[in-house]
Amino acid sequence: MASTACFVIISKNDIPIYEAEVGSAPKKEDLAYQHQFILHAALDVVQDLAWTTNAMFLKSVDRFNDLVVSVYVTAGHILSIFLNPLYLPGSRITSSHFDTKVRALARKYL
Amino acid sequence: MEDYPEELRTPPLSLVSIVGCPELHPSISAALSSQQPPMNTLALPDFAKASILARSGKARDPLAPPQAPAGILKKDWLLKHRTRVPAAVAALFRADQVSGDPAQWLQACSDLENLKSAIQGNNTKLVVVLVQAQASDELSEDITVALRKRAEIDSKHLVVLVEHDETEWSRSLSKLKNVFVELCSTFYKEEGRRIKARIEKRNFASIELSIRYCYKVAVYAEFRRDWSEALKFYEEGVRVLREMVGTSTRLPPTQRLVEIKAVAEQFHFKISTLLLHAGKVVEAITWFRKHIRSYERVVGTPEVAFLHWEWFSRQFLVFGELIETTSATIPDTLSPRFGTADNALTEWEFQPAYYYQLAATYLREKRYAIECSSSMSNLTTEVNGTPESVMPSVYVGQYVRLFEQGDTVSVLPLSDTEYTSYALSEAERFQDSYEIIALFRKAYESFQSLGATRMASACSGGMAIEYYAAGDFSNAKQLFDGVAGLYRQEGWTTLLWENLGYLRDCSMKLNSPKDFISYSLEMAALPLFSVSREENRESRIKSGPAGSPTISRRENIQQEVLSVLERKQTPEEADDGFYKAMEEATHLDIDQISPLRMVLIASVAFHDQSVKPGSPLLVSVSLLSHLPSPVVVDQLEVQFNQSDCNFVIQSTQEDSQPLDSDFHDQVVQTTTSLTLSTNRWMRLTHEVKSGQSGKLECLSVKVTINKHLVICCHAESPASMEDFPLWKFEDQVETLPTKDNVLAFSGQKLIQVEEPDAQVDLVLNSAGPALVGELFVVPVTILSKGHAIHSGELKINLVDARGGGLLMSPREAEESESHHVELLGVSDVSEDKESMEEVDSIRKIQCSFGVVSVPTLSVGDSWSCKLEIKWHRAKSVMLYVSLGYSLGSSEEEALHRLNVHRSLQIEGQVPLLVSHQFLRPFRREPLLLSGIRSLGGDEKKCCLAMNESNILIVSARNCTEVPLCLHSVTIESDGDGKQLCSAQQISGISNGHAVIAPSEEYKGIFSVNPQALNSNFNLGEIYLKWSRDSSLGEDQATHVIMKHQLPEVSVEEPPLVVSMECPPYATLGTPFTFYVKIQNSTSLLQEIKYSLVDSQNFVFSGAHNHAAFILPKSEHIVSHKLVPLGSGAQQLPRITVTSVRYSAALTPSTSAATIFVYPSEPKFTLETSHSAYDGVLS
Repeated sequence: MASTACFVIISKNDIPIYEAEVGSAPKKEDLAYQHQFILHAALDVVQDLAWTTNAMFLKSVDRFNDLVVSVYVTAGHILSIFLNPLYLPGSRITSSHFDTKVRALARKYL
Repeated sequence: MEDYPEELRTPPLSLVSIVGCPELHPSISAALSSQQPPMNTLALPDFAKASILARSGKARDPLAPPQAPAGILKKDWLLKHRTRVPAAVAALFRADQVSGDPAQWLQACSDLENLKSAIQGNNTKLVVVLVQAQASDELSEDITVALRKRAEIDSKHLVVLVEHDETEWSRSLSKLKNVFVELCSTFYKEEGRRIKARIEKRNFASIELSIRYCYKVAVYAEFRRDWSEALKFYEEGVRVLREMVGTSTRLPPTQRLVEIKAVAEQFHFKISTLLLHAGKVVEAITWFRKHIRSYERVVGTPEVAFLHWEWFSRQFLVFGELIETTSATIPDTLSPRFGTADNALTEWEFQPAYYYQLAATYLREKRYAIECSSSMSNLTTEVNGTPESVMPSVYVGQYVRLFEQGDTVSVLPLSDTEYTSYALSEAERFQDSYEIIALFRKAYESFQSLGATRMASACSGGMAIEYYAAGDFSNAKQLFDGVAGLYRQEGWTTLLWENLGYLRDCSMKLNSPKDFISYSLEMAALPLFSVSREENRESRIKSGPAGSPTISRRENIQQEVLSVLERKQTPEEADDGFYKAMEEATHLDIDQISPLRMVLIASVAFHDQSVKPGSPLLVSVSLLSHLPSPVVVDQLEVQFNQSDCNFVIQSTQEDSQPLDSDFHDQVVQTTTSLTLSTNRWMRLTHEVKSGQSGKLECLSVKVTINKHLVICCHAESPASMEDFPLWKFEDQVETLPTKDNVLAFSGQKLIQVEEPDAQVDLVLNSAGPALVGELFVVPVTILSKGHAIHSGELKINLVDARGGGLLMSPREAEESESHHVELLGVSDVSEDKESMEEVDSIRKIQCSFGVVSVPTLSVGDSWSCKLEIKWHRAKSVMLYVSLGYSLGSSEEEALHRLNVHRSLQIEGQVPLLVSHQFLRPFRREPLLLSGIRSLGGDEKKCCLAMNESNILIVSARNCTEVPLCLHSVTIESDGDGKQLCSAQQISGISNGHAVIAPSEEYKGIFSVNPQALNSNFNLGEIYLKWSRDSSLGEDQATHVIMKHQLPEVSVEEPPLVVSMECPPYATLGTPFTFYVKIQNSTSLLQEIKYSLVDSQNFVFSGAHNHAAFILPKSEHIVSHKLVPLGSGAQQLPRITVTSVRYSAALTPSTSAATIFVYPSEPKFTLETSHSAYDGVLS
């Protein structure tokens, strides 16, 4: 089954700092922004859940027919995984290298 | 859910029938239906009606080959079993009917026969009821047996009802009920078992029958309230049904799918209802998910996709309604584990709103599908037209066409094409939009109440899109606006872009060019994720009117705004109304919270913080735009709160005629070109002339673009400028609004214009440091040099120079109001008495503060006054004097007050340092016992001998730098002291006063002769009357009295007084006699010892050590003859007198034991030397 995925990294203050449409499916004749709409709406649940559970990976916090929203909450709810001293919290990730890596990983697993 | 037939929505109830005795029917029916579980009653008034119980179906030829069924489920089967096929029939006979008349008996028998034949083949149970009037009425055994035989029933199925006895009636009725319950249960069990046997033996011809059997078994189980069995068979039916999708060929493919889905819907509904009513919420949701998953891809051909989406949407809607009506709650065990791996359900799946939202989404899908289908079918079906007289068939989910030929009406199956066009025409009649909006609204309200604002706004966005599609642009715009706010706040630019696209279109449709322009500009200025989107963009997207979020699209949008402004037709369908609604110039206001800040922001910074009025000052105006294309500015108008400072910068590159002529009184500057390039500050520095004094603040910058668009930006200070929330972290070079870095971080849009320089001199003079106690005068002179002084006011303030403000110590502040330094008054030196009185009326003087009004002075005049300040302590004080005045007496001028401030530090000094010293009389030593006893000496109280003249030396040292006149030094004691002690001045001030030069000391000598014993004797105070040296011209009134408190002394009576007597001087080699007199003033015998120490300068005759007894009140004289051996001041041999009684030794002081030895007899006049000698001794 062809699958498509939308990968978004969201900073602490709910601003998306990285987004990528990955996957092998040809673009469905679908609302181009539907994925984002769903992800944005799912933040409501994530916000609640992130404080009630100590699991970092939330497999399905929300679903919109066949689209399942999974969330990985980092410790402290901020993106401290970037070991980059120049990184300004909240700024967008614009590195093309990062982008390539994400896409390569997506190709591998999707 | 409301669309489902009643029989489907409610659990089935057993049905029984009663025939005959119609008068009893209501009470029996009521009794049966009030039972738990209730039972429905089919009441037939007489036996003639019994035929309706007979099987209506035509007898099938048992030999004919089994025919394939025409459908899966018959629509009315369930209804039939709920209303027309009773499980049991009760035949009611009156007892007298069967027992009396044979003709009646025969009639009863035939009725019974008819009934039996009617229910034959139905398996319906028969009950015979005999109705008696009284319980006492005996029924013959024969009749009952005969009746039973006729009816072929068990004896327990013959029930006797007693009509007229209350208790008997209810008893017999309950018996009847029990019989019915038992029979119903048997009936439905048998029926179920019969059908189940067919399933188990797989004794059916087609798969349709298998499903039908499952359905029937499940329904019979429901009649029995055997829910688990019902569930099992419903599920089995669904499973078989799902398998049928690919295999059945009975109907054309489209209709086949429709039928299967319709049946599946019924099955699913039953299952969901059963699960939810049993409280198995999790199972129900899991089941629903399975149901959805198995059908979501069974869309069918594209022409009938809308049917699928309608059906699909209905599944969500119905399930949502079911969850809502059963008010399912989330099991406690589940709620903390949402989202984790061991819980597949999400929190929302327990909320009806989730299903409503999805139902709305799929209904919208249906709308899209219809739009597609309609456009396709318009071409094809125009020839065929829509088939007429299509109606639902007897089977669930099937449609047929009625065909009339003469009198005969037959039903014909439909072809798929016919069905499709029929379904399409049916579907087009409905307005789905309202349904969708209603669903979204329901979901929105629900999510809103759950606090899920993002979900709510997703629903709200759905509503908006639907309003937009339905052409209700004002509603759509309102909703879009709300949603856009959230996305703006959270920075989801892609979503915001999409929203703004709709908003832009709505405002175009609503003929609101201003909104159109502002939304367009906001879109054009949005930062976008442009990462690798481009390649996917070619595929046609059924997206909103925004288009794809790319740089080129942003540029297009910006261009469109320009074309709209220029009234060129845009490619969009802007109509005339839109242009008519446009004003001559469109005004946009951008403040600090406006989303349009991205479009244009104006930062204004003055280069200085304050400026003199009227002098030129530099102001930097910087503009920044995030629009993708450069913006050409025609005119820039900078507005200040003082409109005189406003200025305009015009660009002259255009075919320049001045835009407006209303700038005649403003500064208009022209420059060659004003172009704002993307993300770069355009910096302009302009010189303006500062206006009036006070605050000068830049309010706004009006930018005219393309002659018709005026953007009014609120001016922002660079220092307090906030970041752009959306552009904050964009990948761009950050630039500063001004070249000067300091200004870019600290610049302010307002500047303080100072007051004009006061042309008045305020002169404070002081004659050096002030002296404590005197009335120190500070002359103040106001000299007008260029300004006339109107309503002038002089404020005087005294402040401690070392800080601390108030001029009193906290302790003293509690005790009294006394200040260390006090402003006593202001004396006017003006000679005009009248004006002085006038001045007095507004004179306010407090201890450290004073206000004095100054008379009106014209240019060149002067006025002066004197401040009188008194120091109570030596303190350094700052004297602040400020003169406030206005230039004229008119009200307008009075508002502008000018101030001149002067300050002067004045030291306060203590003029005289007074000290005192007590001395014993010369060569006379009274033995003071307290002095010996208090060896610890913690209180250094001075002891004075009573009735002896003690010497008090008061010395006053001038600590100032000016000479002082000392007028008198006196000792003032209080009333008692005067009698008990006489203090006489021995040396005093001759000819009026003594002038003490700086750091000189004046000594006054007093003889104090206390006359009473007192251990705490208060000698009084020393009063010094002084003034500044009179040579400075001060008058006598300024004498200052300074007090110095003398310590308390203890006065005692000495028991022994030792006095030495020797000549005032000696001559070398000449012997003289040295007496030591020891006087015993007690009434005791005193033993004394004395010793004399050798002195090298004297030889003496007499005992070195000796002792003596002195009689009371007498005197003992020790005499030695001495010959001086050296000249000069010589130490006499030291004598020590020891009183044995008091164990006290007395040694005369060194000064007392000194004598001056002349080398030879001096020659001087004796008179003067005698007087001096006397003065010292007495």
